[in-house]
Formats: sequence, structure tokens, C-alpha cells
Amino acid sequence: MKDRQKILLVDDEPAITTNLSAFLERSGYTTAVAADGEQALQQIEAEQPDLIVLDVLMPKVDGREVLRRLRQSGIWTPVILLTQVGEAFERAMALEEGADDYLNKPFEPQELIARIRAVLRRARPGQRPLSASWVLESGSLQLDRRAHRAYLQGEEVVLTPKAMRLLEYLMTHPDELLSRERLLDVVWGWDYPVGTRAVDTRVAELRRVLDDDASDPTYIETIPGQGYRFTSLVEPGE
Amino acid sequence: MKRWYLVALLPALLGLLTSLVLNFGGLQNPILNIQIDIGTFALLVGIIISIPCVAYLAYRRNSQRDHQQQIAKMQSTISEDRMRFLQRLDHELKNPLTAIQAGLANLNGDINLEAVDSIRVQTSRLSRLVADLRKLAELESRPLERTSVNLSEILTDTVDILQESPDASERQISLHIPQAPWPLPHISGDPDLLFLTFHNLLSNALKFSQPGDAVEVRAFEDDASVVVEIADTGPGIPREELPHVWQELYRGENARGIPGSGLGLPLVRAIVNRHGGQVTLRSRVGQGTVVLVRLPVENAEHP
Repeated sequence: MKDRQKILLVDDEPAITTNLSAFLERSGYTTAVAADGEQALQQIEAEQPDLIVLDVLMPKVDGREVLRRLRQSGIWTPVILLTQVGEAFERAMALEEGADDYLNKPFEPQELIARIRAVLRRARPGQRPLSASWVLESGSLQLDRRAHRAYLQGEEVVLTPKAMRLLEYLMTHPDELLSRERLLDVVWGWDYPVGTRAVDTRVAELRRVLDDDASDPTYIETIPGQGYRFTSLVEPGE
Repeated sequence: MKRWYLVALLPALLGLLTSLVLNFGGLQNPILNIQIDIGTFALLVGIIISIPCVAYLAYRRNSQRDHQQQIAKMQSTISEDRMRFLQRLDHELKNPLTAIQAGLANLNGDINLEAVDSIRVQTSRLSRLVADLRKLAELESRPLERTSVNLSEILTDTVDILQESPDASERQISLHIPQAPWPLPHISGDPDLLFLTFHNLLSNALKFSQPGDAVEVRAFEDDASVVVEIADTGPGIPREELPHVWQELYRGENARGIPGSGLGLPLVRAIVNRHGGQVTLRSRVGQGTVVLVRLPVENAEHP
């Protein structure tokens, strides 16, 4: 039987780490806890976790700095950053530092488990994750994340800013079932019930521009009653 | 203040004057012989040293008091709106928290599904409140992502979606969008935020009306604007409440028992203002309410 995977929880709020670690343990993981960035860096070395859940706002060394130091020293342990990803600035930072996924506080603990599972499934030990690659390729589709440009068969396609961000998130999380609420949270930064319409509208735009047939999709598949999935294989470009 | 320094220096000046007159005025300057015992001398010296010290301390205390008074004055000039907002926020946070505490007390060791459920409901209510507050804050700071928006589509979708909601039962909802002589012009804006605006307004109209009431959504072009009116034949808003409806977390008397955060209309106003538009509300008790949203036509603003 496979060993239980180890999650390192880093947050300066004990009420959060205590409850979350109990919940993660019950969900089949072993956990370690660090209360600030310095402790986190020590723990990562000592405990060798399979995944790190990292809060951004912390005393001493903040989450952002922890992530930067890890990646600079070539450690690609998957990281889920707890941050306000709705803010464009925050998103750009998270990307630059190579976080594998993000979650807005407050979140449903079940959502954290879903993120952990997906990230661990996608992780290629010791390698750069897709979410840390500036150029992504999938079939004849190419996405330049730095320039916010997308190309289909070498031709640039025009997308609204939201559709571009949605495509980016889908391509960095391929083969993953993403609920409308999740996409709304991560791309729009809000979780209004009425917002699911916004997701559908942007997916429709992507399909139109990418010439993707919803009934026989190359890129974006609809999972009825659940959400969307980017089905095509994605690889880091250049 | 200066005058008091003069008063304080007056004895010294008088002394100086007397000394000048007696020493150099050619007058007789008699010698005053004082004999004093050491006990009385010590007492006098002590008093002379103490007086300025006590005066200084009194002065310090006074200036501290002045400073505190200044701070108090500054605090009281913090706008009343803000104070009221904080009071309402306090209230909005207290209720769900009290319910959560009661729910947890009910749990008391054994699993009580009702209590757990109520805790969950209150928690999501708090999450919603936080999300709304954040959205409001963001609207003030973040640039709009503008595209060309067809309001006809947004209004049609809004009506279609809300027609299905339980609040819409037995309301007569009608939508009037002009097609002749030409369709409604596009506006420049964020379609998701505009959808949220009209969704909020229409769902308010439905929420606060009764079965049998009529709800109308009307759009028309007026000069360089598109005007959207959302009108209902509901109970209306009392005159004295009208100025408050746009304030954050304000909830009217008849809103009690109807779910809502009190941030719906402030969000609407923030979104409309960010789009360079205006929103106004007219209401008569017993007759109904109409909200009017005016947004600039795309080419008028971005030629």
C-alpha cells in the first residue's frame, strides 16, 4: 500500500492550521504545520512534504518569499497558495513565483482537498509545473502568458481579457474537472451565484474563437451539471 | 498666550525699572537690611523653587489635555456615514455569529444535524458578506475591463433567469426593448458587472413585491444614453428611508425577514458610477418603486 502523502500547512493562524490539519488527516493525508515563513523553510527541508499549502500574509518571511526561495533553489514541490487571486496583480505574482494552484480565503475545506488531489495527480516530481511555464502548447493552440496572446495555427486570435484568463487557467489545469464556481472564483475573483452565467458566456466565446465544437470538443469539454474540462494534452512550450 | 508671558514678566520688569531709577537716576539708594533666621530662609527658598516647578507641571497637564481634546475633535469629525457603516457591519456580523454560537452549544458533544445545518447557513451568510464588501472595495480601485456590451442581451438573460426563481411566482414580468427604428445602441463596459447590476435590481423588485404585482423592465435610448428602468407595483419605500437605500448595509423596515446583505444597491451604484452612468430611485408607498439606470452610449464616450 502506498504511504500516506504528506502536506505541509503554513499559516500564522493556529485556529486555521489546527482545524485544517485535523480535516486533512481525516481525509487520508499526514500533515505538518508551520506558523511562519522561516519555520516553513526549515520544515520543508526536514519533512520533505509532497505538497505545501501556503498562506501569503505571514510575519517574518511571507508566503510569496518562501515560494520564491524554493523555486530559486530548484525545489518544485507543488504549492497551493492561499491568496486573493481575483486581483490581477496577485495573479501575476503567483504565476511568476510558480504556484501550482490558488485558493481564495475563505474556502470550503472540501475545495482544498479537491485542489490537493488535482495538483498531486498532475505533479511530475522534481519538474517545473505547467503553471510555472510562460508558454503553453496544446495541439495547434499556443498561449503566451507573458504577452497575454493566444495563437491558433500560428495566427493570433482575439479574446476578451476574461476569456484569455479563463483559457490560461484551463490550460494550466488540463484534464481536471473545474466547476463553474471554481472558475468564477479563480478567474473573476468572486463567487456570486449569478456569476456562473459569466463563465458560460466566456466558455462560449473561447469555443467560437478556437472553433471548438461543444458536442465533439478538441479543447473544452462540458461535463453536464458539473463544469468544464480542458481535454487536450498541454505541454510547456519552448 | 503672549499676553500671559508679559504678565508673568511684569514683576521682573518692575524690578529692573526700580533698580535703574535708584542706581542711575541720581536718587538716594538706601540699603535695606534684612535679618532672617535659617529656618525661615530655608522655607522661603523652598517655596521659591517649588512655584515654577508646580507651574510647569500644571502647564504640561493643560497642554496634554488640549492635545487630547484635539484628538477627540478629529475623531468626531470622521464622517457619520462611516460610523453608521461600522455599526451596521457590527450588527451584520453579530447575528450570524450569535446563531453559530447557539448552534455549537446545541451540538454539545452529539451530532445534531439541524444545528450543523444552521451553522453552515450562517457561515455562508458571513462569507457572502465578506465577498460583497470585497467586491465593493475592488470596484473603487480596479480598472474596468471594457468591451462592447449589448444591454438587450443582458436584460433578456436577466429576465429569463429570474423568471425561473421562486420569487417570481405570480408576478407579471414584462420586458420592453425597442427594435424600431433601430435596436438599442451598445455601451462600453464590463458585461459581467452589468449583468450583476440588473440581476440585483430585478431580483429586488421581485423580492419586495407580492403575488399579483407587476414588474416591468424597460429600456430606451435617450440622447447619448441608454436608460433602463426596473419598475414594480410592490409596497414602495417610505419617504424617510429613501435617502438611506444607497448606503452600505442599510436595510429598510420592510426588508426584515427578507434575505439580503444590504449591499445590493450600493454595489449597483458603484458599478453604474464606474461606467460613467447614474442610478436613481423613485418610490411611493402603496404604489411601487422604479429604479432608473442611465449609461452612456459606447461611441458617445469612446469616439
